[in-house]
Amino acid sequence: MEKAMLLGTKKFGLVLMALVLLMSLLTGCQQEKVLKIGYITEQTGVDAYVGPASVPALQDHVDKINAEGGIGGYKLELIVYDTRSEVTDAVAVIKRLFDQDKAVAVIGPSWSAAAIPIADIADAAKVPVVATTASNVNVTVSETGQLHPYMFRVCFIDPYQGYAQADFAYNKLGLRKAALLTDIASPYTVGLHQFFKDHFIELGGEIVAEEGYTQGDAEFRAQLAKIKDAGADLLVMDAYTYKDVGLAAQQAEALGLKIQIMSGDGVFVPELLEMAGPQLEGAIVTTGVSESAPEFAEFNTAFEAKHGIKANIYTYYGLDALMMIEYGIREAVKKGEPTPQAIRDAIETMTDVQLFTSKVTMDPETHNPLKKPLLINTIKNNEWVLLETFQPK
Amino acid sequence: MELFIQQLVSGISIGAIYALLAVGYALVYSVYNFTNWAFDAFMAFGAFMAFVAISSLAMPFWLAMILSIILTIILSVGSESLAYRPLRERKAPRLFMMISAMGVNLAVVNIINLIFGGTFRKFPVESVQPIFVGNVSIGRMDLIAGAISFGVLALLWLFLYRTRWGLGIRASAIDIQTASLMGINNNAVAIIIFIITGVLSSIAGVFYGIKYAVFPMMGIVTIKAMIASIVGGLGSLPAAIVGSMILGVLETLVSGYISSSYRDLFSFLFLIIILLFFPNGLMGKNVDEKL
Repeated sequence: MEKAMLLGTKKFGLVLMALVLLMSLLTGCQQEKVLKIGYITEQTGVDAYVGPASVPALQDHVDKINAEGGIGGYKLELIVYDTRSEVTDAVAVIKRLFDQDKAVAVIGPSWSAAAIPIADIADAAKVPVVATTASNVNVTVSETGQLHPYMFRVCFIDPYQGYAQADFAYNKLGLRKAALLTDIASPYTVGLHQFFKDHFIELGGEIVAEEGYTQGDAEFRAQLAKIKDAGADLLVMDAYTYKDVGLAAQQAEALGLKIQIMSGDGVFVPELLEMAGPQLEGAIVTTGVSESAPEFAEFNTAFEAKHGIKANIYTYYGLDALMMIEYGIREAVKKGEPTPQAIRDAIETMTDVQLFTSKVTMDPETHNPLKKPLLINTIKNNEWVLLETFQPK
Repeated sequence: MELFIQQLVSGISIGAIYALLAVGYALVYSVYNFTNWAFDAFMAFGAFMAFVAISSLAMPFWLAMILSIILTIILSVGSESLAYRPLRERKAPRLFMMISAMGVNLAVVNIINLIFGGTFRKFPVESVQPIFVGNVSIGRMDLIAGAISFGVLALLWLFLYRTRWGLGIRASAIDIQTASLMGINNNAVAIIIFIITGVLSSIAGVFYGIKYAVFPMMGIVTIKAMIASIVGGLGSLPAAIVGSMILGVLETLVSGYISSSYRDLFSFLFLIIILLFFPNGLMGKNVDEKL
């Protein structure tokens, strides 16, 4: 009896061993080579309109690549984490992508305040990060002028946008007295306004008021009353969140302040028109891409029909970043293993590569895309209208 | 001078919104000695309910307002019985109630975000032109919001000081244990307080939504109401109103004459200075004189 039992246990052990071996063989066969791409975005918090409009587009693109057989035998996997629109959360999730998920490349974040601390983390982890709309200079090059080797971006930088805004306001609109309303906690706004101010003064204009606020504020009447009192004819408000510009426009109207409003790509979303279209009639908004551009019409319709949400510039920039990484992976696969290092090297030297919005050439010195055109738009009858295109020299 | 009057008018209108919220904080604090962090979620919830009622169900404003108040009361009382009462009955430390409130807040705000999305919506009411006195603009909506705020606060005062239920709440504010020994139904007091909280937060949410925009994170402003109620004297209703007015006017004057960039710095600095010299707030009273 005892012997029989012992035998039974032995047999069972053998069967188990065989099963384990078989299973490991089987999983060996099934194990696909997967490359993980991270995407950190704002799905909750004050900027929760960024993520929902971009995640489905990115997932669609990844699905398409996988349906076509992946890249060189590798399937792609998109891992999305929410930043809650907070810098601390953005830093926490990117560490998770590097340490736990072993992502080969990461897309995001969309704002400079988070992208600047992330640049150091990316350098330490040696994983390339492609920021989407983080346009502050220090995202890719530190304040001491050191290039962050693993940080890239797909948008143009603030100096260029600030320069173009000042130029347009002074030369085309003939305005001379500007007031700045700055989100003092946003490197994007602070940087852009500094460049606007420098060039506007250089041209001979005058800054008559410099007012501030912080993210989350809804009340701007105190600042606007002061701007009205200062006799400004131009209000420059390059907010990162469209709510700020929408509310300021409503409150300016309520105060009887009639002024030319100018803003940047941070607020270029269709929701701004729903919020304060009539109050913003005639406002100038500079941007890198435009939803109303005819080349996106087909994409926009298909996207809205499939996902029930309107595409915005964050959708386009997100796709640009994903396609930049896709290019990096393809090039790395051609040369061997798609390691983060190899992907980084390929992105750094990319030349005239067609991404979603435009062809991109990467500047290896600064990791900024070269010669991105800048669009100057206005709002007419509650719609975006393109006034002119600014080509960088 | 014109600028000064304009800033004063703006300051008072901001103060009126702070007041509604500050009173809500004060009421819960006075009885339970904990800060109801879920208040900002109730505010956003109230605003969204009215928003949906008007934009999707095509209700008139007054009906939407009533619906919003009723639903916010249900949420407020519901969260009391789910998140706070079990803790109270188990005699949990007050800190745990505050953490529980934070949980309610996170859950409600994120559910709103999930259902409605994080966009900023314009409240669907006709925008009305402000009244101009010389060059000083006074918003009609501000006047209406201000009048309703003070009307509601006056009703609340009457309720607390002229009814038996009010007496019960005031007794509970002094010492909830003794009050319940004297035959005051503890749970009934809790329900009434959270009904009032629901009403106040819904009204504050709707007017804040009309004045600014409706979005899930709109409750951020309650941090200012919190400062206002501490400046006035935590736990006292008139003090919460006075604190709100002082803070609203202080903020606009700092923005207008010192620096708008440092406005919040001044708000918090002001709070610290007040607390250094008046540890109970400007009008803070002893325990037996609360409310």
